[in-house]
Amino acid sequence: MTGPVQSSWTRLEEIVGGAHIFADSDELTVRQVDGLSPSVVVLPADAAQVAEILRFAAAEKLAVIPRGSGTKLGIGSPPARYDISLDLSRMNRILAYDPKDLTLGVEPGVRIADLLRVLAEQKQFLPLAVPFAERATIGGIVAANSSSPLRHAFGGVRDFCLGMEFVTGEGVAAKSGGRVVKNVTGYDLHKLLIGSLGTLAVITRVNFRTFPLPPAQGTFVATFSDADAAFGFCRAIVHSVLAPQMLEVADPAAAHLLLSGDIWARIAPQTWSVIISAAGQPEVVDRYAHELGPMASKAGAQEFAPLDDAEAHSVFYRICEFPRLILEAAVFAAIFRIGIVPTTMAGLLGEISKIAVQEHFDLVTLTHASGILYAALLPTEGDTPSVAATTKAVLDVFRACGKPEFNSSAMLEWCPAEVKTAAGGVWGPPRQDFAQMQRVKNAFDPTGVLSPGRFAGGI
Amino acid sequence: MQQQLIRELVALLGPKGVLSQPEDLMMYEYDGSVETGSPKCIVFPASAREVSEIVRLANRYEIPMVGRGAGTGLSGGAIARNGGIVIEFSRMNRILEIDVENLRAVVQPGVVNLDLTRAVEHLGLYYAPDPSSQKSCTIGGNVAENSGGPHTLAYGVTANHVTGLELVLPDSEIVRIGGKNIETSGYDLGGLFVGSEGTLALVTEITVRLTRKPEAVKTLLAVYDTLDDTTESVVDITVRAITPAACEMLDGFTLRAVEDFVHAGFPKDCAAVLLIEVEGLTEAVEAQTAAITEVCRLHRAREVRVARDERERDLLWKGRKNAFGALGRLSPMYYVQDGVIPRTRLPETLRRIEEIGRHYKLQIGNIFHAGDGNLHPLILFDERDRAQFERVVAAGREIMEHCVSVGGALTGEHGIGMEKNELMPLIFTPDDLALMERVRAAFNRDGRLNPGKVLPLGKGCGEIRIQPMTSTAITPAPTPV
Repeated sequence: MTGPVQSSWTRLEEIVGGAHIFADSDELTVRQVDGLSPSVVVLPADAAQVAEILRFAAAEKLAVIPRGSGTKLGIGSPPARYDISLDLSRMNRILAYDPKDLTLGVEPGVRIADLLRVLAEQKQFLPLAVPFAERATIGGIVAANSSSPLRHAFGGVRDFCLGMEFVTGEGVAAKSGGRVVKNVTGYDLHKLLIGSLGTLAVITRVNFRTFPLPPAQGTFVATFSDADAAFGFCRAIVHSVLAPQMLEVADPAAAHLLLSGDIWARIAPQTWSVIISAAGQPEVVDRYAHELGPMASKAGAQEFAPLDDAEAHSVFYRICEFPRLILEAAVFAAIFRIGIVPTTMAGLLGEISKIAVQEHFDLVTLTHASGILYAALLPTEGDTPSVAATTKAVLDVFRACGKPEFNSSAMLEWCPAEVKTAAGGVWGPPRQDFAQMQRVKNAFDPTGVLSPGRFAGGI
Repeated sequence: MQQQLIRELVALLGPKGVLSQPEDLMMYEYDGSVETGSPKCIVFPASAREVSEIVRLANRYEIPMVGRGAGTGLSGGAIARNGGIVIEFSRMNRILEIDVENLRAVVQPGVVNLDLTRAVEHLGLYYAPDPSSQKSCTIGGNVAENSGGPHTLAYGVTANHVTGLELVLPDSEIVRIGGKNIETSGYDLGGLFVGSEGTLALVTEITVRLTRKPEAVKTLLAVYDTLDDTTESVVDITVRAITPAACEMLDGFTLRAVEDFVHAGFPKDCAAVLLIEVEGLTEAVEAQTAAITEVCRLHRAREVRVARDERERDLLWKGRKNAFGALGRLSPMYYVQDGVIPRTRLPETLRRIEEIGRHYKLQIGNIFHAGDGNLHPLILFDERDRAQFERVVAAGREIMEHCVSVGGALTGEHGIGMEKNELMPLIFTPDDLALMERVRAAFNRDGRLNPGKVLPLGKGCGEIRIQPMTSTAITPAPTPV
């Protein structure tokens, strides 16, 4: 180890205690980000320790990357520097849960799966049906703004997060928002942390509103011969009085993955699937069962069927885990997350599909009809594409998404580190608002201690 | 120098685009709050480019500027606290686009909230945030204040309905953030700007979500003989996880004033009423209506009445939305509070407000967005009675302190502005406030845009007058998982 890190050892050990600091190579390798290893791993017990660690790092000009269970550290541009892995897994307490008030305050290291089990005992839940569900922590989910199919009905983290406590890059503990469901007291600084990938502050507490578990649910699948018809059906639903809690469009490859669990099976017909789930009182779910079938026929569906509970559970699970399933099937996959409007979804998918064909990639896409499109470029079966070939395809997709007529905004959520570097990062072409993001970064982390280089515009 | 500035503004905007006569300026000294301030001139830009030019001039002459919509704000957000230029957006009042397929509208900041709903209702759509002032308040002002309204209980506040903004920054740069898509990669700048009370940027264009009208709506009026029964009903509705679209409470004093004014049909001899609305599919509305009726009856509601038709429903809502005006008829002035509490603390909070009113010998009317714990105690007073006014301020402060002590917040929808900025240290530490100050300075470096708002002024002199309160709310012991 080099100079500054040697001395950091003693000081960091004083802060967290000898049992909560590691520098052996196994621990460091596990905590690599894009192939870069930290020099030391520290596991703080609370916000005060986080603040001390960050003050120290700021003074020593060390770079810190916060971590929950590490499921999403692959998201973001490769870090410019990386000295300390700040492992928050010890900060895993539910600090306040008031089921009667439907509010909750948790530390960042709480795993969503554990939290959902605690909430379920009170017949409540959080609409965070996110990938890597068994391991993902609240801090990581918030920092990566993990996408959830339930966003269709409940909105994203920004819509049900009430406030946060956090420590800035200078080691200052601060907070914004609060614990009540309606609040405009002060600037909503916590909203900036959602999706910030640990570049602004280390989250030490998140407050949420919780939701009652619906008494009944129903899940339905309709199949269509092409994308236009499938998206047409979605629009018909959105413009009806029905308000499903999930509305997904899977292309033929994604449908195989979601419905049969096997991405490489090519035996089923090449159809686009719309997957809908409804929740509420049993009478409400019955209404969906009665109305969706005729609506699907009218939209040109080939088939329409309700799923039984086991099938519904399995499909929902796979929709949530979509990026993980893709990565397990193909480590070289490049997965885009694209914010988009309903009317241009089919058109943009067409463009991306052309790029995939030209550049010899398979394409798998899953679209949350509320406006998030996941497009995965996979090497064709048995092929290992060169970095140059993947980079070319990636840049072409960014170019397509940047066309003003699509009203879309893309980031490359998952891809090999070499491709990230070759493509100049994962955030696509520079935008005017990058300068405004830099201003925010300078306010929270002026010396660039936190996750340097991972964010848009090189932040 | 001032005459020179006004000449330059007239050259930029034309003679009709600038007001600088004392009698004109007087109209702009007020908003909906109890605060005042005297601007040097009022300007009426017609485009983002003109706004940017005005900002450039303000910077050149080093004078403050503040944006203003309809001036209905309740915390002094649009008041020129340090004088300077008031930038009034009434000329920028066009709906630029209605994108039915994508459920979006693109509007200029001066568009009146209700006018947007009126422009889309023939399509079966509406704009969900519905502040009580929606007939006159503007969407630009709503964005600045992150406005709410009765139906935010189910549909969320302004921040949940804005997807894109065009802004003029205090250095005169015009920037766009977000768009029609639900998310744009990068920091959620929209989340910061919406609700920043006009202290970070001037909004020149807004992209908002449009919402489909529900299939069925039912409005219930539950009538009670005691306040405790009323508030316990609200707690129980929340606990049972029934989610009405709106759940409003009016106490007896308020509803009698309303009834004399609006004749909405509130029984004048009761202690309080709940006005509850349920929306959605017919089946869901029926089930919720039954569940709510049961809860209200369980808590000894004297009567639970379902509005029979649109006319009766409109009348009940007219009563609610004109409540401030009705109380205004009883007293020369009133001071509206906007505290928030955890919903389960409603009964004790109402009892506390009663006590405070008795202690300070003040008449307090209560109109609550009860369903989300957002209180609007309204203290009546006569501003000519100086001693009384001091009691009003003290009572207001005690109500706020109570809200904070049970784990609540200073404002649910009216904003901090220049009314509660000195109370911010009740909630926030010096470190919290210093970071907010730094974020403000990141955009509003010279503090020229809307000075004296949101953050306490005492700060920076090493003097924080109020210590953050520790919440006495019961926090369960931490549970490891």
